[in-house]
Amino acid sequence: MEMVVVAPPAPGRLEDLKRRFFATPLQALLSLISLAIMVFVVWKLLNWAVFSAVFTTSGGPEACQAAAGACWSVIAARWRIILFGLYPFEEQWRSALACVVVVVMTVLSCIPAFWTGRRIALVWGAGAALYYVLMKGGVLGLAYVGEEAWGGLALTLFIFVTTCLIGFPLAICLALLRRSELPWISRTTGLVIDGVRSLPLISILFTFAIVLPFALPQWLQGDKLYRVILGSALFFSAYQAEIVRGGMQGVPAGQEEAAMALGMSYWQRIGLIVLPQAMRNALPATINQFVISFKETSLVVIVGFFEILASGNAAYGTGEWRFAYVEVYAFIAFIYFIFVFSLSRYGAFLERRMAVGER
Amino acid sequence: MIAGNSTKSGGPAVRLENLDKYYGTFRALRNVNLSVERGEKIVVCGPSGSGKSTMIRCINRLEQHNGGRITVLGAELNDDVGNIDGIRREVGMVFQHFNLFPHMTVLENCMLAPMIVRKQPRAEAEVRARRYLEKVRIPEQAMKFPGQLSGGQQQRVAIARALCMQPQIMLFDEPTSALDPEMISEVLDVMVTLASEGMTMICVTHEMGFARRVADRVVFMDAGEIVEEAPPEEFFSASRNERTQRFLSQVLGH
Repeated sequence: MEMVVVAPPAPGRLEDLKRRFFATPLQALLSLISLAIMVFVVWKLLNWAVFSAVFTTSGGPEACQAAAGACWSVIAARWRIILFGLYPFEEQWRSALACVVVVVMTVLSCIPAFWTGRRIALVWGAGAALYYVLMKGGVLGLAYVGEEAWGGLALTLFIFVTTCLIGFPLAICLALLRRSELPWISRTTGLVIDGVRSLPLISILFTFAIVLPFALPQWLQGDKLYRVILGSALFFSAYQAEIVRGGMQGVPAGQEEAAMALGMSYWQRIGLIVLPQAMRNALPATINQFVISFKETSLVVIVGFFEILASGNAAYGTGEWRFAYVEVYAFIAFIYFIFVFSLSRYGAFLERRMAVGER
Repeated sequence: MIAGNSTKSGGPAVRLENLDKYYGTFRALRNVNLSVERGEKIVVCGPSGSGKSTMIRCINRLEQHNGGRITVLGAELNDDVGNIDGIRREVGMVFQHFNLFPHMTVLENCMLAPMIVRKQPRAEAEVRARRYLEKVRIPEQAMKFPGQLSGGQQQRVAIARALCMQPQIMLFDEPTSALDPEMISEVLDVMVTLASEGMTMICVTHEMGFARRVADRVVFMDAGEIVEEAPPEEFFSASRNERTQRFLSQVLGH
C-alpha cells in the first residue's frame, strides 16, 4: 500500500535562523558574542597555521623561528625521523612501503568481500610476511635491520595491528571460556581477565620486556619487540573479552536453542549464530577499544621503543629545531587523527551495514 | 546411524519412561510416561507451569532429564554428544518466539542447517528450502530478513526451516501463543496440512479447535504429571477428571 507522506511546511533558511538564534534580544546578544569569539579563534588559528606560517626549509631554523606563524619547516626537515625513527636513512623507503602494506592489508580486510576465512588468511598472511621481509631484510638483497632500529609510524602501525591480530582471537577464546558451564574453567578465566584488567598497561609492558627474560629460558624469549606485543595483546584481549561477553549476553537464549534443535555442533552454533550477533551488539564498544589501543601504543616508549610519539620527540629534541615542538606535535596529532577518525567512520559504516538485517 | 536404522526398527517414535526433571529442588516433571507412535499427532495441554514445554524440550535435549529413560526412534537419549546431535537431526522443533536467525535471510535460515549439518550441496539445499517455503505459502519472502516479516510469517518460516532438515518428528512448543489473533490461523493451517501428510507431531498448544481437528490423542498435564490421556472427543466431552474439567472450563469457558 502506498503511504501518503505530508511534509510539515518547511520554514525558510532565514526564518529558521531567526527562530533559533535571535528569538529574544538576550538570545541575539549571546549569539553575536559567541559568533565573535568563534571568528576570532578561527582567524587566529588560521593565521598561525597558514597565513603567517613558514613552509619551506630554505631560510633555515632561524628565519623560521623569527616568523609570526607556525614553523612547518621542521616537518619538512625532519619528517623522516617522525615517520621512520632510527631506521637507516637509505633504507627508509622499505619502512614507508611497509606502512603502505599495513594500511592496504587493513583496508582490504575491512571490505566485506574479503570476509571469508581463506581471503582474510591470505591477506594477512601475505601482508605480515611482506611487512616482516621489508622491515627486517637480510634476504632478497635487502640489508638487515634489527627490530631495535624500527621506529616511527611503521612501528606504531606494526604494534597496533599485531596487538589486535593476536588480541582479538584471544579475546574471543577468553569470552567463550568465561561462559563455560564448568565452574573451574569460567572462574579461572574470570580471574585471569580481572587480574590483567586490574594492572596498568605500563606495568605489563615492563614485565614482558624486562622481567620476563629472567624467568624464561633463552630460546623462549624472542626479541623484546615481540614480548612487548604479546603483553599489549594480552591487555587488549582482557578488555575485549568482556566486550565480547557482553555482546553474547545480548543474544537471546532462543537463538542458541534453535541452532541446537537443528543439530548444529557447538562450534557451528558459536561461529555462525552466536558470535555474528554478539559482534554486532559489541561493535561500538569494540571500535572504542581499537581506538584506545591505537593511542596506547605510545606507551612502548618506556621500554625503549621509538614509536611515532617518541620519534617526534627526537625530531625536535636535538639542536636547532628545539623551539618547534608545537608544530611537531600538531603534525603527529594529525596523523593520529587520520587513523582514529577513519577507524570510527568504518565503525559507523559497519553499524549501518548490519542494521540492514534488523527491522 | 539413527537415520539409517530408525526406518527399519519398529517401535514408537518417542517413548518416555518414568521421566523426572528437577530445576534445583523444584520437581518440574514427575514420573512422566508417554509413548508416541509413528505418524501419531499428540496435543499436550495444561495450565502454565505444568511441565508441558519442559517435557517436549527433554525429547531433543534442550533440557536434560534427571531420571527415567527417553527413547527417540529406537535410540536411547544419553550424554553422548554424537547421539544427541543425531537425534536432533531427526527431530524438528518450532518455538513460541520463532527464534529465526535475524542476521540471515529467510532463505539462508532454511539452507544453513541442511548444508552444515546434513552436508547437502548448496544448490540442493536451495531447491529444498524454496520448496518448503512454497509449502508454508511464503515463497516470495525468501530474500527478506526475518525482522521484515509479520509474526505469522516468521513462524511459518520457522516451520519451513525445521522441515528442511527432513525430520521424522516435529515438536511444537506453543507455536501460536506469541501471535496476534489474526495470524494464528495461517500457522495452524500449515500445521494441519503437515498433519494430513502423516508427520509425527507433538504439539504443546492451547488451540483446542486444532486439538479437536488434528490430534489422535490429547495429553493433559498438571503440576509436572500427566493427568489424563485420551482421544479428543472423549477428552473434551467425557472427561470425569476434576482437574481436566477445571482447565477446560477455563480455556473453553469464554
